[in-house]
Amino acid sequence: MNMPSGLGRRGLLFGGAAAGAGVFLAGCTSNESNDDDSGGSERNQAASNEESGPDVTIGFAGPQADHGWLSAINEHARSRAEEYDDVTLEITEGSNDTAQQIGQIESLINSQVDVLVILPADGRSLTQVALSAMNAGIPVINLDRVFDTPQAYRCWVGGDNYGMGLNAGHYIGEQLKDVEGARVVELSGPDNLELTVQRTQGFDDALANYPNIEKVARQAAEFTVESGQDVMSGLLQAVPEFDALWNHDDDQGVGAERAIDQAGRDEFFMVGGAGSQHVMEAIQADNTVLKATVLYPPTMAASAIDLARACAQAKGIGGLAEFEIPSFIQLYSAVVTKDNVEQYLPTGFN
Amino acid sequence: MASAPPPILTLSGITKSFPGVRALDGVDLEVLPGEVHCLLGQNGAGKSTLIKVVAGAHQPDTGEITWQGERVALSNPVSAMRLGISTIYQELDLVLHLSVAENVHLGHERATAGFVRRGEARTRTSELLARLGHPEIHPDTIVGDLSSAGQQIVSMARALSHDTRLIVMDEPSAVLDPDEVGNLFRIVENLTADNVAVVYISHRLEEIRRIGDRVTVLKDGRAVARGLPAKETATKDIVALMTGRDVEYSFPRRAAPFDSAADEPVLVAEALTRAGEFDPLDLEIRPGEIVGLAGLVGSGRSEILETLYGARTPTGGTVRVEGKRLRPGSVISAVRAGLGLAPEERKAQALFMLESVTRNVSISSLPRFSRGGWLDRSGERDAAHSNIKELSLRPDNPDAAIRTLSGGNQQKAVLARWLLRRCKVLLLDEPTRGVDVGARAELYTLIRRLADDGVAVLLVSSEIPEVLGLADRVLVLREGQVVHTAPARELDEHRVLDLVMEGSQA
Amino acid sequence: MTTGATPEPSATASLDKPAPPGPPPAAATGDKGPGQGPRLVLGKLFDLHTLSLLGVLAILCVIGAITAGDQFLDTNNLQLVLTQASVIGVVTVGMTFVMIGGGIDLSVGAIVALASVWCTTVATQEFGMGGMIFCALAVGVGCGLVNGVLIAYGPMVPFVATLAMMVSARGLSLEITGGSTQMVTVDSVLDLGRRDSYILGIPPLVIIFAVITALGWVLLNRTTFGRRTVAIGGNAEAARLAGIAVKRQRLMIYALSGLCCGIAAFMLVVLSGSGQNTNGNLYELNSIAAAIIGGTLLTGGRGTIIGSVLGVLVFTLITNLFVLNNLESAFQQIATGAIVVAAVLLQRRSASHTT
Repeated sequence: MNMPSGLGRRGLLFGGAAAGAGVFLAGCTSNESNDDDSGGSERNQAASNEESGPDVTIGFAGPQADHGWLSAINEHARSRAEEYDDVTLEITEGSNDTAQQIGQIESLINSQVDVLVILPADGRSLTQVALSAMNAGIPVINLDRVFDTPQAYRCWVGGDNYGMGLNAGHYIGEQLKDVEGARVVELSGPDNLELTVQRTQGFDDALANYPNIEKVARQAAEFTVESGQDVMSGLLQAVPEFDALWNHDDDQGVGAERAIDQAGRDEFFMVGGAGSQHVMEAIQADNTVLKATVLYPPTMAASAIDLARACAQAKGIGGLAEFEIPSFIQLYSAVVTKDNVEQYLPTGFN
Repeated sequence: MASAPPPILTLSGITKSFPGVRALDGVDLEVLPGEVHCLLGQNGAGKSTLIKVVAGAHQPDTGEITWQGERVALSNPVSAMRLGISTIYQELDLVLHLSVAENVHLGHERATAGFVRRGEARTRTSELLARLGHPEIHPDTIVGDLSSAGQQIVSMARALSHDTRLIVMDEPSAVLDPDEVGNLFRIVENLTADNVAVVYISHRLEEIRRIGDRVTVLKDGRAVARGLPAKETATKDIVALMTGRDVEYSFPRRAAPFDSAADEPVLVAEALTRAGEFDPLDLEIRPGEIVGLAGLVGSGRSEILETLYGARTPTGGTVRVEGKRLRPGSVISAVRAGLGLAPEERKAQALFMLESVTRNVSISSLPRFSRGGWLDRSGERDAAHSNIKELSLRPDNPDAAIRTLSGGNQQKAVLARWLLRRCKVLLLDEPTRGVDVGARAELYTLIRRLADDGVAVLLVSSEIPEVLGLADRVLVLREGQVVHTAPARELDEHRVLDLVMEGSQA
Repeated sequence: MTTGATPEPSATASLDKPAPPGPPPAAATGDKGPGQGPRLVLGKLFDLHTLSLLGVLAILCVIGAITAGDQFLDTNNLQLVLTQASVIGVVTVGMTFVMIGGGIDLSVGAIVALASVWCTTVATQEFGMGGMIFCALAVGVGCGLVNGVLIAYGPMVPFVATLAMMVSARGLSLEITGGSTQMVTVDSVLDLGRRDSYILGIPPLVIIFAVITALGWVLLNRTTFGRRTVAIGGNAEAARLAGIAVKRQRLMIYALSGLCCGIAAFMLVVLSGSGQNTNGNLYELNSIAAAIIGGTLLTGGRGTIIGSVLGVLVFTLITNLFVLNNLESAFQQIATGAIVVAAVLLQRRSASHTT
């Protein structure tokens, strides 16, 4: 990451020597920062303290980690598995290509893993291969994006998009309940995704409880920083004054915050979605419009590892009376505010 | 010929004009069933236009077409095909990545409810190929994999896959070697035996003597002789018919006879070769000299020009300009050394049709009008203007769009480009193609003047009088080989035509 | 200027001698797209495109004033629209050169992404704003040169070469970021996107955009580089036979496009305060569309910088109108598609009327 000290910076910047540029560029790909993340064990609820059971091999197949949340999923799965000395994790190179992901799952089946954790690139197209794993006697823990039929998984664990909207709406509603004629703006994700529709539905349902609040504008961004900046700057121009903003996704929120900063606006507060580290830090610092975010916790991958291990060892999970793991677990979209952010900060993703 | 059967096809008084050119000027043609009717004529005599009229690809402006006694309108190629007229063009119109069977049935696929009956098509194709003496060609072979002779056979099979009564063959022997020509003749004989009429176009007189029945000679868009017996008419009579002219071009004479030893040659080519296109060539051109290359299409003349110019990479030999050797296959090196080319396909190879005259003229001299890449546009325009004035290009407007100009003026713009560049050697490939009569004379004067000013000129033309009228020295080409070199004054049109057609001095 | 000054003489002259030679169906005379009318000289055509686009912009402004009055007719909104046009605008200037030169560059979005993430890595940010700018430009030019070498000397079809670049540059930017958003921590860069650094009320990004537009116009219309670009796009074979170094020219055109992407990448970093591998999404389509409605021929040989920039402004204004009126993005996509079709049809039409 460091530039060779022998090369003069001035020469590099202005001389334009191709070789120098090459060296410079090669040195500039590093993203190692000094204040590195905390270790795995602090990032979520501690692993259960039960003693080791029989050795378990867990196969994990996810989509390509082209998004902060998805790389956090991989990271949580990996670090959780490392905490157990009886768990071996076989993790595939993530892929967004359905055919490729099917191939990866098939090879995991062939290598006789004890249990599979699958976050499908597309739930519908991967249902068949999950079914065949189940038929081969390999239980499947379905992570987040649900398969077509319950027969294709032993247990589903995932987030609650409707709940995200609902909790964001209730939080905003409670904050604004004494404000006459309160105005709310929504910056949603891409409209062609089912999850966007669910989030908006939850948000609207929650706001319906507060007759003093009106949603005055809603525009869709593309889950990217660039689109967040672009759409938010337009929204700010369109609505000269409002009281609260809910942004569906913290990645596009980076752009939205930038637009708010550039417009110099601060008459409202902003609620995020998903729970990135950056947003949690901002909530903790409390010096921007960001006051809260509703979680779509990537820790679900760690939970999936726990479930897979328990399933393979034929145990239930701690805190539940049953002898087996449940078949369907929907996670709560907690609202992270300044009051509780300390606790959630380690789960924030980049 | 009173006892002859009624003609299957009669054309009378066909005229066809293109902007600036009268391609057919009242042509009559009569084809009898079962005969081989040969069409002869120099390039530009109107043969191609005439067969396109027969094929329904061109609509005549005036004139009548009678098919089996009934007047018909051949409004498109399909209607001609329906009547039973098939055409095999020189440039075969096959789809190279489809199979033989698919090509043969292209456009009239044998199908049931949209599904091609492939088996039947294959069987039928095999039969046709066997009839043409080529049972070894498999119907499933991809056409692009066949030799050009094989492709021609496929083209014929396609023609015969209809109920064909008349086949037009445009220089079918040009792509064939002697054995294959023998097979072609056998096919033609079989066809005529089935009472199919054949219109046969060739430059090779000996072929016409072998298989032709009657000959029609075209010249300047007219049929100057019709229905001559192919076997009896004397060669010199045919050549005379082909070359005799109504319009005699006047070629400007040079002021003083050219002194061939006065100057060092500006361009020297030594053993310049492109395998498969032309044999090793030695050539010297002196400043002010005009050297003519006479030969038929496909004799390698354009290839020689383009290889000298670096547009094609030679397989051997060198080109020197003023003693400096050119980098083989580099146009940039050739232009830098002072060569300029006015290519054969003016629109495709020389002109920027969306641009003004100025920009077309200045394109090769941009560095002269720029400092540090910054264009001096008024200087550029003025220079272009004075050049086109000098060449009396019309309109006298450097801002006119080049596409609005006539062919002759477009050619002048190309010459102006090299004039502006102050080139030392000018390579002219068919400079008067598509140029009307009046403009031709002007171009001739221009070429003469350029030479008088010391430019060395290498001139390629299918029009033998043009070569003889302009050049000081003529190289006669036949199949990639220089078969004769002589001062132009020692040659005449008949002699050159003999040389290019027969290759011997008979 | 001289081209525009004297169109009339040629118009009359062409009536006297309307004789293009040879048989008409020759391939070379084939449809070269709109504007083939023999009596339309370049100067006039330029005006036609520009005028029709200005007309569309005027109509959009009227719609904006009616439907979103105060919010639309506001200095802030003008600043906003111009800022939003800036990044894609700079990319489109480069794309216009590529298209006039007879090529296509599908990798612009991916190069913007790669340059923006490369110049926002922790390591690059240590060098401050200068290092980040240098890095963005070097990555852009580097990718452009690779495109150019593949296309000019490969030789590869531009579509394929730039498609390959698109995929690999996106892959590399994902590899660098690991999918996460790289926040800019250099204050001078962040400040550049804020209101305080507006110069006479003009955002710095808009100034960069204006400068690039002006430079692009000069390069296209006043230099040998521009002239050669038009020539190889209009007729590559003729350009080669006229002695133009076609390969070198192609190489430089793609390097130029890469440079524009590098500049745009840095602008995007300033705008969004971050670098992300999803940056520049669909820039290739948007910039090609803007150039097309600006009058650039897909087949090459003709196009204007002004037209392309107006094309960008049309698209940006449409987005602006939709957001201000709180309409769904689905309708916006439909409207954008319809505008492209309408613009092209209109140009065809006006071209054929004058023919």
